[in-house]
Amino acid sequence: MTTNYLLFLLSGRLFGVKLDGAIEIVPWRPSRRVPLSFSYVEGLLDYRGVVYPVFNIVQQLGLTKPGPIGFTADEPAGARSGQSIILLEVKKNPFGIVVDSVVKMTPLTSPTAGTAKLQGVDPKLVQGIVYEDDNEIMILDGERLLHAG
Amino acid sequence: MAEGTRYLILSLQGEGYAIPISRLLEITVPRDIQKDKSLSEMFEGKCEFRGKFVPVLNLKKIFNLPGSKGTALLMVQSAKGTMGLLVDEVSEIFDTAQKPAPVPAGVLNPSMRYYNGILRHRDNLVLLLNEDGLLP
Repeated sequence: MTTNYLLFLLSGRLFGVKLDGAIEIVPWRPSRRVPLSFSYVEGLLDYRGVVYPVFNIVQQLGLTKPGPIGFTADEPAGARSGQSIILLEVKKNPFGIVVDSVVKMTPLTSPTAGTAKLQGVDPKLVQGIVYEDDNEIMILDGERLLHAG
Repeated sequence: MAEGTRYLILSLQGEGYAIPISRLLEITVPRDIQKDKSLSEMFEGKCEFRGKFVPVLNLKKIFNLPGSKGTALLMVQSAKGTMGLLVDEVSEIFDTAQKPAPVPAGVLNPSMRYYNGILRHRDNLVLLLNEDGLLP
């Protein structure tokens, strides 16, 4: 059985999320900060009448070290150029994830449960791995991204 | 009947927050805030208001935001008593019939009770403060 997935790059690795209903891809933009939110929450984005929380999933997955606790200076504007925000919806909860670049939309067979190759990624957030043309694609579990707390 | 609610829009580090006018007792300048060692670290001190001492919170400190103490002091009625809130500045009174949108899932630890929702104000999102959740 195949399902459609959206593939994207994060820190040079290939990831995918299941396409389920509407999805939007917008260039990265600053979000409205929410003090005392989870550290990986960039903020809130008001897009076409919907308020999306925006998750910095590189940090959420543990692909980078977390920043210092508390306030840090804003990153230089150039650092974020080229990044995109994927706006999606899981079980009627809208949210956005920041990715380095969007690769393509593609049908894939359902991921296997293998978690052997998840070096450096929080395994709770991964649904499984799919191989396509020798590429290893980590399929993220949208619902767990939302409730990773 | 779509009755509007009036909010005071205030800012911290250039971003907007709202508090219902119905809970606001006075807007003043920070003055005579006295240190009080019997209050916990999170308080800036206490000040006299209508013949009584009330605790004063620096909202930026509570929210882990940088910067000075602020230029406005709001006296606010909360369910836990009257308190002073130090904020950067107050900008306007906002009258709206909007129903505040809930803060989306996945943003905050559910035990955090600092916000009552989100309002749209001049193309920006404004966080509605929960005045009853600020005092410990």
